[in-house]
Amino acid sequence: MEEQAGNIDLNPDISRRGFLKSCTIAAAALGLSEAMIPRLVAAAESAQRPTVIWLHFQECTGCTESLLRGSHPDIARLILDIISLDYHETVMAPSGHQAEKSLHDSMEKNAGKFILVVEGAIPTADNGIYCKIAGRTAMDILAEAAPKAAAVIAIGSCASFGGIQAAAPNPTGAKGVQDLVSGVPIVNIPGCPPNPVTFLGTVLHYLTFKRLPNCDNLGRPLFAYGRRIHDHCERRAHFDEGRFAEQFGDFGHKNGYCLYKVGCKGPETFSNCPAARFNDVDVWPVSVGHGCVGCTEPGFWDTMTPFYERLPQVSIPGTGIITDADSAGKKILGVAAAAAGIHAAVGIGKSMIKGKDKDKA
Amino acid sequence: MNYEIKNVWSILLRLFHWSLVLSIVTLVVTGFYINSPWTNTTLEGTGAFPMATMRYFHFLAGYLFAAAVLVRLYLYLFGNRQERIWDILPVTPRNIKSLTTTVGYYSYLSDKHDKRLGHNVLAGLTYVLTIAAAVFQLIGGFYMLYPESLFWQGWGGAVFGSQQQGRFIHHLLMWYFILFAFVHIYLVIWNDIRSPEGLTSSIITGKKFKQKNG
Repeated sequence: MEEQAGNIDLNPDISRRGFLKSCTIAAAALGLSEAMIPRLVAAAESAQRPTVIWLHFQECTGCTESLLRGSHPDIARLILDIISLDYHETVMAPSGHQAEKSLHDSMEKNAGKFILVVEGAIPTADNGIYCKIAGRTAMDILAEAAPKAAAVIAIGSCASFGGIQAAAPNPTGAKGVQDLVSGVPIVNIPGCPPNPVTFLGTVLHYLTFKRLPNCDNLGRPLFAYGRRIHDHCERRAHFDEGRFAEQFGDFGHKNGYCLYKVGCKGPETFSNCPAARFNDVDVWPVSVGHGCVGCTEPGFWDTMTPFYERLPQVSIPGTGIITDADSAGKKILGVAAAAAGIHAAVGIGKSMIKGKDKDKA
Repeated sequence: MNYEIKNVWSILLRLFHWSLVLSIVTLVVTGFYINSPWTNTTLEGTGAFPMATMRYFHFLAGYLFAAAVLVRLYLYLFGNRQERIWDILPVTPRNIKSLTTTVGYYSYLSDKHDKRLGHNVLAGLTYVLTIAAAVFQLIGGFYMLYPESLFWQGWGGAVFGSQQQGRFIHHLLMWYFILFAFVHIYLVIWNDIRSPEGLTSSIITGKKFKQKNG
């Protein structure tokens, strides 16, 4: 870590004011009262910074990129003052054997105490050969690191639920951390990418209260994933008043109307995006005119697609027809009507041939 | 030919039936709107809330639908002889025979038909399937109505998965109800023409006309 402290790209000179601001924003994200802020500050500046080991598996580094763009705190304060980030392939200075050594030293030294952050899914097909680091499979690395950790934070939809790698037909057998690790507390911070505030809030909650925050039944912290996007969306009034963008670039879209009809998945998605927003400039997908794609939900590549339609498509068995639910429904209803017509015609034809038998009921 | 009037359906069952009809029609119309709103209030400040209104009636009809389903479940256990589930479960020789006879009768293979007072077993089983579909539809509906309730998250998540999967199945099941309504009305008319016993009016009056023995 000495090498890392000397990295001139990371500026640790951050004002006290900026530090307190970070803690206050994290407290707000966690839904804590302002009376709790001093405790958060005390926990964040205590000498015992928790060791964090950050593992990358099948991923795009987007979650790390998102964290690098966080400013409350910025990455320098996060890794130098709040946590002790002992291993992170994207931001660490060492490489090769040196990096491997620092990973193993840290894991041995802090066994049972460090926080393990996992970014990316873990391929399990063919003994996990589809993701290897330093000659070892992601499965092996996770199986070694996870039991030694005090808690595991799965950051991003890939580490939480498998992400795009796990989309059908999932050729590499990609799985999320919670499918492979048991016996260690796991918290999922899904999103593609998740908001850095959510990650920081979870870490600070752990520092302050010595336990992970309360979670929903998918293991997502309730402070960030307890509310539905649609109910907190700035375009909600347009929804209720029936004003919709019919297609991108039309009158409604230019006027900031609801994106429901161009496939926004806000009504199906739980996240703090409308409240926390991203990158200090108060943006999130819906605010810049693109519908939510539901990236915090399990299997969103399979269940939330097509992204620009309301509902998934159906395939009518035996016909090879893939269509939307309504035209499938109309087709089936048409077949039923035709069948009823034939049925009635057969009955009429039969009674005409046989003649009406009044006694037969 | 002598006919006598037989009491078949209790007032509660008839109320169930017409509540279900009213709620399904409302739910389908408002449901189509909610899925794909066919109006667009491009004028701002008109004080119109079409989506909010449609949703309100959808939820109102949903509660009526829920009440109707609960009444039918009650009647399966505590209704009169025709209404109880034992009358149509194909476990007794009488009911198994009714099933095969009805299939033959409906497909014009035989002119024999089950002259029982209540549902024939084929119809009765279809109604059981429909009530089961209705229970799924209700779980999906409440899952979407109370997305942040941990109770409904538990049930909805266990039965359907994510909100989007719940919504998708909710929409597909709607098409089942449309299909059911169509086939139901066709077969009621067909039965009433083929073997007149006042079948259509029985769901209003509760009475059927049966031939007197001898």
